[in-house]
Amino acid sequence: MSTSDSLAILVVRAQEGDQDAWDEIVERFLPLVGAVVRRHRLSPADGDDVGQTVWLRLVEHLGDLREPAALPGWIRTTTRNECLRLLAARGRTRVVDPQTGGLDTVTDDVTDAELLAAERRQALRDALTELPEGRRALLLLLLADPPLAYEEISRRLGIPIGSIGPTRARAFAQLRETDALRRLGPEPPGGAS
Amino acid sequence: MTSWDDAFNDLTDDELLAELGAAVAEAEQVTDRQREAARAAFTWRTVDAELAELLHDSALESAAVRGDDAVRTLSFASGAVTLEVEIDGDTVRGQVVGGSAESVLVQRSIADDQPISLDAGGFFRVEDVAPGPVRFVVRAGDWTLTSPWVAI
Repeated sequence: MSTSDSLAILVVRAQEGDQDAWDEIVERFLPLVGAVVRRHRLSPADGDDVGQTVWLRLVEHLGDLREPAALPGWIRTTTRNECLRLLAARGRTRVVDPQTGGLDTVTDDVTDAELLAAERRQALRDALTELPEGRRALLLLLLADPPLAYEEISRRLGIPIGSIGPTRARAFAQLRETDALRRLGPEPPGGAS
Repeated sequence: MTSWDDAFNDLTDDELLAELGAAVAEAEQVTDRQREAARAAFTWRTVDAELAELLHDSALESAAVRGDDAVRTLSFASGAVTLEVEIDGDTVRGQVVGGSAESVLVQRSIADDQPISLDAGGFFRVEDVAPGPVRFVVRAGDWTLTSPWVAI
């Protein structure tokens, strides 16, 4: 099952009132909400309030969500807008650098490129879920910090050391061909593509 | 500008692994508190509630237009009924115009509903309103006006 298909199914199930489906949607997109919030200068408490508001608004919006593929873009844009609203609402108590101007300057420091990069990382996480378990496990072990020796990876996955390199190459080739990554190009994510 | 497609294809496997690492690390920053709050949002699902439209939020205006006024004003409309709200620190004042409404429900995502009676002019006032998401449900007879959620 492709990511986009499974997201479409999750959305339909959530529209029908399935809490488990909602929890899966939440699990998938919490990091995106967090990434966008962190790029604004909200207090941790305000950041959590923005996040909570985004999820409440998605609950409201769920019924008229017709295109599940647009969901990442919707979440990114809504989180961004709610951050800006709360920043502005807190405007009077925020410290503003007189050298750089007023609040509007401060709130404009989050670039579209940063927001799209956050959505790109979301796509990478989605892409990982499309891989077969063995290949996903290998990539996650390759990300271990501190790095694991190939001997250890071989032991944990029960595959010969000699096959790690070729499996790694196949995993990356497959990752590049996932729906999640292909969906990002060539149009910017969240666009009309 | 490089397209997104090219941006991934231009990366070596090692570079892609590094980006993947950043993506996975981002997911690990989610707190249990955020997860619980997001899951709990689903309990606010209502099947056929028609949302009032946000007509105005002073926080969406530019600083120049907004001026130095500390009071945030919001207005919502549904049909002929309008709800005007002022957020002044932890005090919320409001007025319902039209529809001969009797009460307004102040809903917080994590606390019990607070029903507030409207006076003869349709005005209401709530003290000690903590920051966080809030929405208003105006009730009268057989209709309700439900505002979208807004963080205050």
